Amino acid sequence: MKSAWLKFRDKGTKMAQFELNDDSVVVIIGSGAGGGTLANELAQKGVKSVVLEAGKRFDIGDIENDEWAMFSKISWLDKRYSGGGWHGSVNHPTLPAWIVKGYGGSTNHWAGVALRFKDFEFKTRTNYGAIDGANVEDWPIDLDEMTPWYEKAELKMGVTGKTTGMPHLPWNNGFRVLAEGCRRTGRTDYNSGPMAINSVERDDRPQCQQIGFCMQGCAIGAKWSTMYTELPRAEETGLCEIRTDAMVLKVEHDEDGKASGVLYADKDGNQHLQKARIVCVAGNSIESPRLLLNSASSMFPDGLANSSGQVGKNYMNHTTGGVYAALPEKVHMFRGTSVAGIVGDEVYHDPARGFSGGYYLEFLSLGLPFMAAFLEPGNTGWGRSVAGALENYDKMSGVWVLGEDLAQERNAITLHDSEVDQYGLPAPIVSKTPHNNDYEMTAHMYETSAQIYEAVGATDVYELPAYPATHNMGTNRMHADADKGVVNAYGQAHDIDNLFVSDGSQFTSSAACNPTLTIVALAIRQAEYIAQEMNAQNI
Amino acid sequence: MNIRFHPFKKNRKEHEGLSRRMFLMTTTMAGVTTSAMLGGASIASAASINEAQGTMLLRMVQDIYPHPGLLELSHYEAIVATIGKNADENPESADDLKAGLAKIDEQSQALYGKPYAELEDADAREGVLRHFQHEGFFQGVRWTAYFGIYDNKDIWPLFGYQGSSVEHGGYIDRGFSDITFVPEGPTLEERMAEVQG
Ligand SMILES: Cc1cc2nc3c(=O)[nH]c(=O)nc-3n(C[C@H](O)[C@H](O)[C@H](O)COP(=O)(O)OP(=O)(O)OC[C@H]3O[C@@H](n4cnc5c(N)ncnc54)[C@H](O)[C@@H]3O)c2cc1C
Ligand code: SF4
Repeated sequence: MKSAWLKFRDKGTKMAQFELNDDSVVVIIGSGAGGGTLANELAQKGVKSVVLEAGKRFDIGDIENDEWAMFSKISWLDKRYSGGGWHGSVNHPTLPAWIVKGYGGSTNHWAGVALRFKDFEFKTRTNYGAIDGANVEDWPIDLDEMTPWYEKAELKMGVTGKTTGMPHLPWNNGFRVLAEGCRRTGRTDYNSGPMAINSVERDDRPQCQQIGFCMQGCAIGAKWSTMYTELPRAEETGLCEIRTDAMVLKVEHDEDGKASGVLYADKDGNQHLQKARIVCVAGNSIESPRLLLNSASSMFPDGLANSSGQVGKNYMNHTTGGVYAALPEKVHMFRGTSVAGIVGDEVYHDPARGFSGGYYLEFLSLGLPFMAAFLEPGNTGWGRSVAGALENYDKMSGVWVLGEDLAQERNAITLHDSEVDQYGLPAPIVSKTPHNNDYEMTAHMYETSAQIYEAVGATDVYELPAYPATHNMGTNRMHADADKGVVNAYGQAHDIDNLFVSDGSQFTSSAACNPTLTIVALAIRQAEYIAQEMNAQNI
Repeated sequence: MNIRFHPFKKNRKEHEGLSRRMFLMTTTMAGVTTSAMLGGASIASAASINEAQGTMLLRMVQDIYPHPGLLELSHYEAIVATIGKNADENPESADDLKAGLAKIDEQSQALYGKPYAELEDADAREGVLRHFQHEGFFQGVRWTAYFGIYDNKDIWPLFGYQGSSVEHGGYIDRGFSDITFVPEGPTLEERMAEVQG
């Protein structure tokens, strides 16, 4: 099935090879949603790049329909610590986030939900005002500016909906239960898209076969991932070299304070210095700020691009939780698309609800192994209540709820003062303490979800606390004002012209929606800007 | 007790007949951390484990994940065998385990005047075990039981879980949308009409 569908364009094509001292290349750190998209966009414009990816070169043949097998195979499991007041600092002490290390980055694990920000979500300071304990700011861009880039991203990724004309996916059992609950509680905004999953054959990729396991990687390539789209396409141009098992340790700069190259370790631990005309950081929102902090020098003692002091701060990962309901009859929610539908009725800002911002409910199926691990995470998740709940597994439907997470300075990526990773670099501590806004919103989310499921006859409703973070944002935030943010509206460092941030760490605010469509749209826009600035000899 | 019923906002009457809402996580967690989420907490050895300890472990794994109507004793025995094998391979954690088992019995004797495995009341047994749930030896047993049950392909069908589907062409023709107690979703034509125009 796999080979009949997916053409491996990279097989037989000779990948470009650049010299370590070639200082004309753009160096991109990370091959996920941001880095992979940027590499392909630049390559299509004739710009040469070297992508350095810390993880292995996986291909679609590595994908298995097995939750723990894929977790062990592709997750980022280097030393990391959870900090702050969220339950994970006790229950997931060394797994603050569940993201990927490897060719394609977290687009291997991602579920494919491809939502746009709402206009009010780009202007949170204006709309929510100053909030105690939070660091809420407006983006330097808005929905009008982003709309054409969102359209390009939707066409690139193959997002169901009006832009592509691809119908949303067929509704599976689990989502049909949720949708009926929505209907009975008077909701109107619930549908099986927009998803970056082919509902029909498109762009050399097949139609979704309702395999399930979208979050373990799509074994047939129906779901967009840079692994089998952007990355091989970039390589095919002969203008992009992707080096895997290449962990960037430090971004170097010259005496004028311009980025001059990056130091990386190969799989044998040997270190190399790759020179660069431009450096783009896209290691996801934990590694990107960590790298900038680890790149401190005598000229930049607080880390690169950190004159604002905001590098690593404002870590956001959405206000989340899970809700699973046991229904009176079998549901078999695991059959078919993992995130099979989205409820958008609660995405609006109304301070009368007791919190700022809105939230989505997204149907999410878990296999039995993950359900048993996350129903009650941590040391206490055993005993009769847990086992009894799990006996309802085949009658469950459930949602992942996610809403706006307000930026706070104390939520941050910091460097451990004694623990180091396998490369000898200080390990990151990922601190997250919920804001009062989060507690209010979470209570509302649980209540709404329970009402919906009760309307379809749920016998039990289980509320789950946040999972290890899959959405990570904000740690190199965008701001018009160089004192308040790390990068400008194009992701270009305020302090260093030829240093860019190309992932979700640019986000000024989190919005309620999943981040990837916005990461991809920003990367497409950034590629255009970089090409233009290179041509103008500005960088 | 580790179930917290979520406070209902509406008055009681309105809620009668409604579902039970549960937030399963206990609120207090001592600062004991198993390594990573699945604690690399390794489990003790077994040629090193005597018969009484084996009996105790068999009771323990059933109390940790009790599925009396669903699983056979042999499923639990297999888990105890794994615990034993792990113990043989790792003498240090075997010692931990044995010391842990002794502490459980001590606690049980102190509270009920009987060894743990002889307590008849399931609540009492769970209560005794809860005292030790943040300890490495306990989490080692617990996670071995977890993997032996919920990550065990032979057991999945008993929970109605079908697992891997790619080799069968997905669930597209195998019931991904076959339930009858709620309405069907929109047809392809309806879904097409939605996105065009
Ligand atoms: C289970 C799961 C489900 C998700 N579902 C959705 C969804 O439905 N919708 C959505 O919008 N988003 C979803 N996401 C989030 C989505 O995957 C991320 O937002 C997106 O992939 C982030 O893109 P990125 O480029 O910032 O980072 P990534 O895609 O994580 O890529 C970063 C890459 O950089 C590499 N790297 C890091 N540091 C270094 C270094 N120092 N040197 C070299 N390489 C480095 C990493 O190995 C990695 O491959 C999901 C994520 C997960 C894990
Ligand atoms: S459900 Fe569809 S998108 Fe998800 S893994 Fe299966 S085929 Fe791929």
